[in-house]
Amino acid sequence: MLNQKYGVGEKAPRVDGPSKVTGEAKFTADIRLANMLEARVLRSPFPHARIRSIDTSQAEALDGVVAILTGTDLSDIDPYFGHAVRDRPIVAIDAARFAGDPVAVVAAESAHIAAEALELIQIDYEELPAVTTIEAALADGAVRVHDTDALRLGLFHGLGDFKPHDNICYEHHMTRGDVEAVFAEADAIVEGEFRFPAVYQYALETHAATAIWHGADQLEMWANCQHPYLVRAELADMFDLPKANVRLHVPFIGGGFGSKSYTRMEPIAAAMARKAGRPVRVVNSVTESMWTSRRHNMICRMRTAARADGTLLARTAEMWLDTGAYADNGPRVVATAADAAPGPYRWTAYQIDAYGVYTHRSPSGSYRAFGATHLEWIGESQVDQVARKLGMDPLEIRVKNLLKPGEAVRTPGKPMDADLIGDIRKVAEGLEWDKPRPPGVGRGMGIGLLAAGSRPVSTAFARLESEGTVTVMVSTSELGQGARTAMSQIVSQELSIPLSQIRVPDGDTMVTPYDRSTGASRSTTLAGGAVHLAALDLKDQLIAIAASKWQVAGSDIILRDGRAWVGDQSATLSELLFYHFGFSGGELFGRGIVRPEQGQGTYAAGPVFWEVCVGGVEVEVDEETGRIHLRKIVSVADVGTAVNPAMIKGQEMGGAAQGLGNAIFEEMVFSDGQLLNGTMADYRVPKMDDIADEFVSYIVQNEDGPGPYGLKGVGEGILAAMPAAIVNALADIGIHLNELPATPERVWRAIQQSKNV
Amino acid sequence: MLKPFVIHEPRTPQQASELLNEYGWDATVYAGGTELLVVMKEGLASYAHLINIKTISDIHTIHLTDNDAALRIGAAVTHRAIETSSMIAAHAPLLIEMERSLANVRVRTMGTLAGNLCFAEPHSDPAAVCMAWPGASFELTSTDGVRQVLPDEFFIDLFMTARQENEIMTAIHLPLLPPGMGSAYHKFVLLERPSVSVAAFVSVAGTTIKSAHIAVGSVGPVPYRATAAENMLLGQTPGDEPYRAAAEAAASAADPVGDLYGSVEYKRQLIRVLTRQALQQASERAMGVERL
Amino acid sequence: MNTQPTFKLTTTINGKPVDAEIETRTLLIDFLREHLGLTGTKRSCDMQVCGSCTVLVDGKPVSSCSILAYEVSDRDVLTIEGLAQKGELHPIQQSFLDEYGLQCGYCTPGMVLATLALLNENPNPNDSEIKSFLSGNLCRCTGYFPILNAVRRASERLAQEES
Repeated sequence: MLNQKYGVGEKAPRVDGPSKVTGEAKFTADIRLANMLEARVLRSPFPHARIRSIDTSQAEALDGVVAILTGTDLSDIDPYFGHAVRDRPIVAIDAARFAGDPVAVVAAESAHIAAEALELIQIDYEELPAVTTIEAALADGAVRVHDTDALRLGLFHGLGDFKPHDNICYEHHMTRGDVEAVFAEADAIVEGEFRFPAVYQYALETHAATAIWHGADQLEMWANCQHPYLVRAELADMFDLPKANVRLHVPFIGGGFGSKSYTRMEPIAAAMARKAGRPVRVVNSVTESMWTSRRHNMICRMRTAARADGTLLARTAEMWLDTGAYADNGPRVVATAADAAPGPYRWTAYQIDAYGVYTHRSPSGSYRAFGATHLEWIGESQVDQVARKLGMDPLEIRVKNLLKPGEAVRTPGKPMDADLIGDIRKVAEGLEWDKPRPPGVGRGMGIGLLAAGSRPVSTAFARLESEGTVTVMVSTSELGQGARTAMSQIVSQELSIPLSQIRVPDGDTMVTPYDRSTGASRSTTLAGGAVHLAALDLKDQLIAIAASKWQVAGSDIILRDGRAWVGDQSATLSELLFYHFGFSGGELFGRGIVRPEQGQGTYAAGPVFWEVCVGGVEVEVDEETGRIHLRKIVSVADVGTAVNPAMIKGQEMGGAAQGLGNAIFEEMVFSDGQLLNGTMADYRVPKMDDIADEFVSYIVQNEDGPGPYGLKGVGEGILAAMPAAIVNALADIGIHLNELPATPERVWRAIQQSKNV
Repeated sequence: MLKPFVIHEPRTPQQASELLNEYGWDATVYAGGTELLVVMKEGLASYAHLINIKTISDIHTIHLTDNDAALRIGAAVTHRAIETSSMIAAHAPLLIEMERSLANVRVRTMGTLAGNLCFAEPHSDPAAVCMAWPGASFELTSTDGVRQVLPDEFFIDLFMTARQENEIMTAIHLPLLPPGMGSAYHKFVLLERPSVSVAAFVSVAGTTIKSAHIAVGSVGPVPYRATAAENMLLGQTPGDEPYRAAAEAAASAADPVGDLYGSVEYKRQLIRVLTRQALQQASERAMGVERL
Repeated sequence: MNTQPTFKLTTTINGKPVDAEIETRTLLIDFLREHLGLTGTKRSCDMQVCGSCTVLVDGKPVSSCSILAYEVSDRDVLTIEGLAQKGELHPIQQSFLDEYGLQCGYCTPGMVLATLALLNENPNPNDSEIKSFLSGNLCRCTGYFPILNAVRRASERLAQEES
């Protein structure tokens, strides 16, 4: 199947598929270096404790233990990392700040020995008072998680004004108009306090990193990181190396969903290997991965005001997101949550106040559709509430108020770049909104926006070798999203060659060029944009060669079926290179660079694009147990142009399943800072028998994206839409929730409450 | 991470018992390992000697005993073997229903029914079913001899049973259900293990309930018999009303704690719902042709 | 240095006889991955919930993370590496490709082998039987619909090959 051209818009088979169904595909923990040691991490049992002393002598004496790393080994480097706020040591130096915080690392000849050695390390902790909830962290006189005056900005903070204080790590405010004046004039006002849980991304592959030092100044690593270039920069800075001396390989990644964004276990592996003087591999358990990254739990208070005719007027939202003991990507999550709070409507006024709060809990970072998932269900449930108050249909009130293309979303920022009304009408079509609901069946919809794309800096080049194969050098990590297939299709489209002639190797910072990150739905748009330019560059060179060979104008030449043609004369790419170099050797490079323009241009103003987070569901509920059954999910992927419709549908189905999990199952339960459900036996994710009876998927292609062919990214929106649609569908049958997940017990309680009213 | 251990391969229950005598606290019985190896990996338990009872020859079969009035399930019989056994399908189909929904197919492939019972995890499916099963008993063997223990004597506390240190469970005895008796097993599962489970056995003669056995699992350290509910049903006509009343009694008899599986109030609600459903189905089966 | 209790394992892995002197406590997954380099078998939850480490022992699915290598003495073990024959994908593998029944690929070896175990004993399962059998294999990428389609297609494909 790979022996044919699959251009843009076609259902190409996954280029990584064969290696993944045969077990050949290599993931980080599959790689074994000669002489490699296994590392295990000792973690704090206390949410907050001073480390008085660590005695490693017994552990060191254990046969097979090679080296032990503690905070005292880090004095010759800058041991702190954090791309936003540099608040996190490789292992605890003065204090442990959450139950699970790394305190020491053992490198041994086997994992068994390393694990045994952990039990022999004696640590004298002085337990300290801890703030393990948002409320406790915000209370007057609360213990500080960090000395905020001493905090340093990370290398990639992008935070603008950074003024941490008390336990506030970061805050973000957005204002339009005179909110109180507009509220005073409103006919309908709804308000409420809402809670969103801490959620674990559960990429099946846990965090892993393998490090080897070549001499004292060259570090080589294999890691399952989504953003190798950002990790490289942080490592280089910590160990005081030129960036080019840090080489990061990124094999296949067993799911990311944001959990492998930014720096994770790489510093531990690197520091441990440095001390041991041998290669070191560290692989997290699921529990450790839960402690490594999670989604922010949040408290939010929101008010929405409308006129009697259904015009949405104003909204206020205050939100506190628990970033845990370290900022991680919290500041960006806070800003994105603020961005998502107004929702995609034409407001006269709003006031949005978002805070990232340090607590003594495990740190929170990115998780697919962050910010939007936190806020969309709240905002959208208030839109439905307003509609109910005013006797309007939920579809009608949305159509009346949704932003139209070109209207301002917020200032500064890119105006609305999608047809939201068209999208929500598709949801209604899929739900058969006009048809009467069967008894006990609720329908709901949700629509929101996610500022997508992160920074628009991506580069790629494409090597055309003399046999006619193209190797695409691009640093997008393949997490399962299908990046390598999409990149291949773009090249296949432009050079008219079959997929079997295209290679997209593992990311390798020594070889594959700079890409800002793999996340924020950006890869096909931006890295794909760079690949597109690289392919066009190659195409231009091939046409010039053909034009020279046949002595015709370049405009007379076309590429088709893997050959260059002029009239009915043709040559393979290999023949053109032979002509060009005079023998069977040599190669051509195509190069592609995507970057923000100065002043005007596609990427001059952020975000790269507004990802539409839209969907609908039909649910029924067992009133006696509160269990929700999904009858139908409707997803609308507003993608501009579909590179591969089958893979887009896959993104929608997968995103919807995670949205379902976030909405009705998933919550990391903490008690006094201790994670109570730290295994997959107690942390519940959707299983195969949880899937909806029916999945209706639409792909909207208005060619209104900033990427090549008018495409834009996809994959996150449906996750954010699912909790909104589910909460609204429940409200449709009289079950009102202001806290997620909508577990059977919460739903049952809400039913009891509605009966008592 | 597993600590080092050796595996012993006894050929008879007596040999197994001797090994248990010899190594005491350092030894444990090993069969499917589905529960044991997980707790050992977690470091919650550690044994230098695993006594692999799968090497004992005559505990691998399911057969009829007591003049074909009861089933004897050997201690090394896996969940999956029970689930797919035609003998069980013919004589104790409720076990198949229970086994089909137990954990997942991999656990059922390795794990044994006896191992599950001996481990005495509070959320055990088989514990609840055996607790309610009229006349069920467990055969325990040691160098001191063989004894039969009833389920309500066997389950003492969470992870604690009446099995002595030197005993192994060699078989599970389940009497076949008499004509006019029906059974059902209902559970509510959200996490990997049940939140609440209810097993019910009801016999009906004409339009009168002659006996009822109800066991509620997963809400306490061990399953409990809802005896007040059982007694209330005697002499009643099968129907929604007596079942609701019995379910209420079963719920009040519970002494649950609030945990990840739910609050006390919610667990009582689940007991209510599941007990009613189980009684309903068991009595329908009692009155129907199906002897489940 | 190795003073731990060991034993001599004699088994068959993917049709090939294997002999090894290993520690008694060696888990099957570690034997496959670290001793034999068969890294297609994946570890995730490490407690028999997720199914990533599924391999077949005498055709039956087990969690290799939680059984001892000792248990496969004199048995036939099939890992994902043993499924394709002479470079020819097994119909189940091909069906997973055709239906996009994988994304990151981490659950895929376990999912494919679990599907083989299902179809071995029930060649024509209905949707509820598929969901029930595979509900013990977690996938976080696909939302399961494409996997359900892949199993359906594999069942049809195998039936066609039979006839």
